[in-house]
Amino acid sequence: MPADTPTATTGAAAGVIHDLGYRRYDGPRLGRVQMVRALTWHSFRSAFGFGRGAKAKIVPAIAFVALLLPAVVNAASMANGNGRLVFYDTYQPVLRDLVMTIFVAVQAPELVSRDLRSRVLPLYFARPIKTSDYPLAKYLAFTAACAVMMEVPLLVLYLGTIVNVHGGAEVWAQTREFIPGLLVGLMWAVVLAAISLFLASLTGRRAFATGTVAIFFLATYTLAEILLQVENHGIRQQQAQSIQNAGHFVAPAVPMAEQVSGLFSPFTLFDGVRMWLSGHGTGQSDNVLYPGSFGAVYALVLVVLLAACLTGLFARYRKAARLS
Amino acid sequence: MSAIELTSVSRWYGNVVAVNDITMSIGPGVTGLLGPNGAGKSTILHMIAGFLAPSKGTLTIGGKPSWENPEIYRSLGLVPERDSVYAFLTGEQFVNATAKLHKLPDPDAATRRAIEMTDMAAAKDRRIATYSKGMRQRIKVAAALVHDPEILLLDEPFNGMDPRQRLHMMDLLGKLGAEGRVILFSSHILEEVEKVSGTIQVMVAGRLAASGDFRAIRRLMTSRPHVFNVRSSDDRKLAAVLVGRPYTNAVEFTGRGSLQVRTSDFGAFCAQIAVLTRENGIALRELLPTDESLESVFGYLIAGSSSSSAQGQGS
Amino acid sequence: MSAFFNPVIASITVRATLGRRRTLLFAIPAVVLIALTLAVRASHPAGSSWEAQILGDFGFSVLLPLLALIIGTGVLGAEIDDGSAIHLLATPVRRGSIVLTKWVVAAVLTMLFAAVPELIAGLLAPSSGKLAFALFVGALVGSVIYTAVFVLASVLTTRAIAAGLLYVLIWEGLLGNIVGGARILSIAHYSLGVANAIYPDKDLNAGLGLSTSLVLGIVVTVGALVLASRRLSSFAIKGEPA
Repeated sequence: MPADTPTATTGAAAGVIHDLGYRRYDGPRLGRVQMVRALTWHSFRSAFGFGRGAKAKIVPAIAFVALLLPAVVNAASMANGNGRLVFYDTYQPVLRDLVMTIFVAVQAPELVSRDLRSRVLPLYFARPIKTSDYPLAKYLAFTAACAVMMEVPLLVLYLGTIVNVHGGAEVWAQTREFIPGLLVGLMWAVVLAAISLFLASLTGRRAFATGTVAIFFLATYTLAEILLQVENHGIRQQQAQSIQNAGHFVAPAVPMAEQVSGLFSPFTLFDGVRMWLSGHGTGQSDNVLYPGSFGAVYALVLVVLLAACLTGLFARYRKAARLS
Repeated sequence: MSAIELTSVSRWYGNVVAVNDITMSIGPGVTGLLGPNGAGKSTILHMIAGFLAPSKGTLTIGGKPSWENPEIYRSLGLVPERDSVYAFLTGEQFVNATAKLHKLPDPDAATRRAIEMTDMAAAKDRRIATYSKGMRQRIKVAAALVHDPEILLLDEPFNGMDPRQRLHMMDLLGKLGAEGRVILFSSHILEEVEKVSGTIQVMVAGRLAASGDFRAIRRLMTSRPHVFNVRSSDDRKLAAVLVGRPYTNAVEFTGRGSLQVRTSDFGAFCAQIAVLTRENGIALRELLPTDESLESVFGYLIAGSSSSSAQGQGS
Repeated sequence: MSAFFNPVIASITVRATLGRRRTLLFAIPAVVLIALTLAVRASHPAGSSWEAQILGDFGFSVLLPLLALIIGTGVLGAEIDDGSAIHLLATPVRRGSIVLTKWVVAAVLTMLFAAVPELIAGLLAPSSGKLAFALFVGALVGSVIYTAVFVLASVLTTRAIAAGLLYVLIWEGLLGNIVGGARILSIAHYSLGVANAIYPDKDLNAGLGLSTSLVLGIVVTVGALVLASRRLSSFAIKGEPA
């Protein structure tokens, strides 16, 4: 209990302080790269609720299972001899839109809003990392998490199809469709992560951040949908019909108003860019009509949106570092 | 009016027992709830305040339970530990709103009184978001006092206060306790408890380790000897005489011109030391009990409890 | 003695909910709704069925439930979350009174930011004033029921918004339109039922009749408020939240 004082017979103020408590660390210290990597890994795990209680894992688990269902159902149905139900590049669009909206709305605040609320940012920035390393790590982590959400079901879909298919040529054909699907998933992950992290970083209250992200995605989606349907003059039926008649894809003439309508939502932007890059639309489950060369505008808007969100995200933390 | 009565109160969360079979009674005056972090002090306070139900046992305030009983708040004020208040209100607005929620007949007068009592008059028109931590504590105390409660519960009230604010708060609590109110506050800082409270309740690892006046508690712990510092005209001779006495456990020369005597029999030593020195022609200059402080009591209780709990594992 | 609505709590709640930039955030979707209506009206003077879509899909199915979610979980949930609820609860105010007051504030704010813009947009749309009025009343009903349920959710769990989001998107959005029986438990359908009774419009896809909607709506609202009061009475502080 009391520090040991020697019974010095010299009498004078002989005091010794034994260095029992604070000790210096002179060993090797890891560098900035390792720090960023550790932060990224930690954030990646918290995107799925690991590192917190069981309640934090509920929503990611539900979302993940929900996205896996079409792949599983497809595998089961192919085992019964049916053809492939689900496409790689569109998967199940409505399900994917909704589930990914829920996932990013609930999980993005877990990555960024928590730190803002509990004001631990000074702890992070008192380490030898650059201010921009923090949002970078968060962004990489969340992109990876969204990529897992998108690509693993595609992978399961692919494997489930492969085992039910015979012949190397068929397998190769599946693979050739699978790869673009993976790229589409990556596009989704990259952009969704940027938008949701930026919006979530604006507030420290998780509930509020969730609401903001959710409203953004849903409102823009509904907005684009409505505009598309309103501006639609029956072209969608024409397109489906022309595909049936011609046996291959025929690009319809789409009025400009309808083209522009698709710009208002990230999800429709994804579809537009996908169709533009792949050169054809898949017809029935598309939200947007085939854009033709206007697809370049879609791509441009998407890139601008991505850049704006990332700039905003990094700017936010430059400001936060100065404030806190 | 009411005493706080706990009878065999326990509270557990799954496998973790936060409060373990505590029986205590808290009456008027200032009582300090002392214990290290994690001892269960906040749990007890929340249970008394009606924000947590005991898993076992009964807890009553003036005969009525505080759980699910909002009427109890007419005579109870709580100052929680968490730093959360409505940050967008000014200090005065916050206390005033609390006064209105208590349905006081004259909320403005009560607000003024409470703010003056806690010395917040200068800052009352500023938003709470601009307050320092100590000021937030004080405004919380003001809100807890606005309805003139008989019972005041404070969870770590001196957290974040500077020395001047702390003294002021101690004065306030002492005054309120002297008026006959029941003041119960928790702390893990010994000096705070020492200065303000008459009675202490010591909690360690969920159990009540000791209760009562701390000097009396010290005296009860006869297994650990009392230590005195004695200064006299002839230390060597006194030491020789003391060694021959049965109540002396040890005598040590401190090297600073005094003697340190350990004795297991407080009463006998105190009665005999004056006689002893006079009979042997030694002039007694100074006699100081060195570990009557709460610190030694506390430390001893914790050490005792941790060793006994280490032995009693697995029950 | 006003044992029900507590003006002090109401004023604090309003200030807490509308503080700082939040009013702006709530206003944005409303402004978008109205702007959208104007824009589409400009390009389509003879409206087809787009009113039902804009007002229905956007205003009713997205704006209303989500705003009700944010506001409804925020009025009590935010204070429980940051611990300032304890100052409110350490007073002799009846728990039922607290829940009721907060619900009223939430419902009124939701009506202001979701139902009123719905009405304005509806009146701007050229076709039927009756449809606009019907949807307005439906939105009022929806505000009342949604906020009651979401206030209950915020008392039951700290993750009320996630749960609410799942409900609105998965249950009401996806399943409610696919599985017929799910309509009985869907607040959107109660509101639509009321709106449809005032001005029947097949584009609304209302599945329930007026009496069913009203009865179920009242049962759900009252039940939610009663349950929330009961749970608030046994509000327990369980140490530091994770």
